[in-house]
Amino acid sequence: MCAAVPSPVQLLRERRLLVVTGKGGVGKTAVSAALAAGLAGVGRRVLLLEVDPRESAHQLLDVPPSAGEIVAVGPELFLQNLSPRRVIDEVVRERLRLEVLVRRVLASPVYEHFAGGAPGLKELALLGHAWRVLHGRAAAGTPRVDTVVLDAPATGHGVSLLRAPSLVADVIRSGPFARMAQDISALIGEATRCGVVVVTTLHEMPVQEALELLGTLPSLLHRPLDVVVANAVLPPRAEGAEESDPAAETWQRLRGAQQRELARLRGRWGGPVVSLPLLAEQPGRPLVEVLRRRLEEEAQ
Amino acid sequence: MIAEPLVVVVGAGGVGKTTVAAALAVASARSGEDTLVETFDPSRRLKDALGVGEVARDRPVAVQLSAPGQLAASVLDAKGTFDRLVARYAGDEAARRRILDNRFYRHLSGSLAGVLEYMAVERLFELASEGCFARVVLDTPPTAQALDFLDAPRRIVDFLDSGALRVALKPWFDERGRLKPTRRLGVLGRGVEAFFDTVVGLDLLKDMAEFFQAIAPLFDGFRQRALAVEELLRRRQTVFVLVASPAEQRIPDTLFFARKLAERRLRLAAVVINRIHPPLPSRRGRLAMAWAEQRRLLAWLGERDARGAAALKALLGQVPVVKLPMLEQEPASLAALERFARLLAKRWPATR
Repeated sequence: MCAAVPSPVQLLRERRLLVVTGKGGVGKTAVSAALAAGLAGVGRRVLLLEVDPRESAHQLLDVPPSAGEIVAVGPELFLQNLSPRRVIDEVVRERLRLEVLVRRVLASPVYEHFAGGAPGLKELALLGHAWRVLHGRAAAGTPRVDTVVLDAPATGHGVSLLRAPSLVADVIRSGPFARMAQDISALIGEATRCGVVVVTTLHEMPVQEALELLGTLPSLLHRPLDVVVANAVLPPRAEGAEESDPAAETWQRLRGAQQRELARLRGRWGGPVVSLPLLAEQPGRPLVEVLRRRLEEEAQ
Repeated sequence: MIAEPLVVVVGAGGVGKTTVAAALAVASARSGEDTLVETFDPSRRLKDALGVGEVARDRPVAVQLSAPGQLAASVLDAKGTFDRLVARYAGDEAARRRILDNRFYRHLSGSLAGVLEYMAVERLFELASEGCFARVVLDTPPTAQALDFLDAPRRIVDFLDSGALRVALKPWFDERGRLKPTRRLGVLGRGVEAFFDTVVGLDLLKDMAEFFQAIAPLFDGFRQRALAVEELLRRRQTVFVLVASPAEQRIPDTLFFARKLAERRLRLAAVVINRIHPPLPSRRGRLAMAWAEQRRLLAWLGERDARGAAALKALLGQVPVVKLPMLEQEPASLAALERFARLLAKRWPATR
């Protein structure tokens, strides 16, 4: 090995916002949880934000489901499952103040359609919540944290999340949502304050989606991305496997297919790729602990 | 395998839905039916396997399969489908342009939740009405909540029937382009106005108002169409195939979706449990320690998937289940896709 490469935890430790993205089913939530735990382990106060309405991060961290509330996982680590709609309603509440107006607006069908359908608004609300937490502007009782790790929505491309601020700025020209969009664009655009982590498994479609993200996001956000995490990777076959054992051949073929995808990834991405091993563990705290240790150690 | 002319392949993202849809279509053409597979975001490999490229976006392209039936493939273009829907119900060219050029519409058609899902069924309706193929296999967009897809037509109807439009269609702006004080709407009007004024600004409101006024004459057509699309999904000629992962943590999603299909009287032909790691025969004798551990990992994958698939099958009760193995790689050639289709046909439940 040549010069020492900082581990992902070291690389990302000073960032305020970390957006973890990638195709559904690649283990994004487990990687987000491990990253959050790793940062908490080096002295950051961390909030892990989960967006999927089917909560699963709590299982990985061995705490009760969040149901929208902030759950303390440890002294330095918090978890929240966030509904975008709640954030949008919160902004309306703050702006209109008068309770009678608030109730009228929230019950109005025009608002209903606006909040549910305005392009990019939901995504903006997620990022906006992260921004408010980091700047101490979130609802009372929200802990002050150094870092927010955002486990980005499972469906669609992470692109739609990260380009939401500019989309909203295009559609909404004034008012608090426009300002929110500007603040977030500034935060995301600054590579020293925001980190973007792309998670993939070494299969064709996830790698394809990762490559699309790696190709589109830098020009869209005017900044480089930080690190690619290759999840569920098979290591080289161990010594001593007998060729007559069908498992030996299976391992070789599965690994060969993964290595081809890794080569394709590396061919188009010059930045750091961190490999996390495939583990014989169901989702849970032990899995997160193993992944956390790997994120503190390795980078190639 | 499947007797019905319309097959809708559904399931969560990342379970191999598109490949299963393509394999079902290949099997259908092999059985002598002229078949179209309408895919959604196919992988590069699958496009290569079918021999279709960008040219298949929104129009059927013949696949060079030698089979008794013709096979064609195309790739869904949600925006194009939406534009055609607008064109169909717009009175004239000017009305059409007024909608297509509206800034709100341009964003809406690309990003509004539910539009993509609705356009997939809308496309199925178009293809079914054209009647060029004996069978259409429709691949669908991945949804976290698979129900979005089934709900899409109903949501369009509900939206069109909702008060949102009555409010939206009020003349909000006076001749000078300023927001009118909407006295007739009373407190609601003032609240909505205050909300837009302080929260989103008036530009968005103007775009939305223009959009709604331009599109209002099309609503009757849209509404009829959405109802017809919903009805098509329920007809006897339409069946669903649900593709699922063997992972235990995904079982509740699969069951939930199967139950929702049943509740809506939509017909589920089979659940395909895809990408099952094969069982590993045990090995006697001493093994080198590091290899023994790797071997245990492979065995664990096989056992985990077998357990998940068995649990899912038991919970699905009467629903036919097809189990398919993990492929080392997605079919990259037509020959590989045909092999996968033969395997699928062989494992398909015989009784109907």
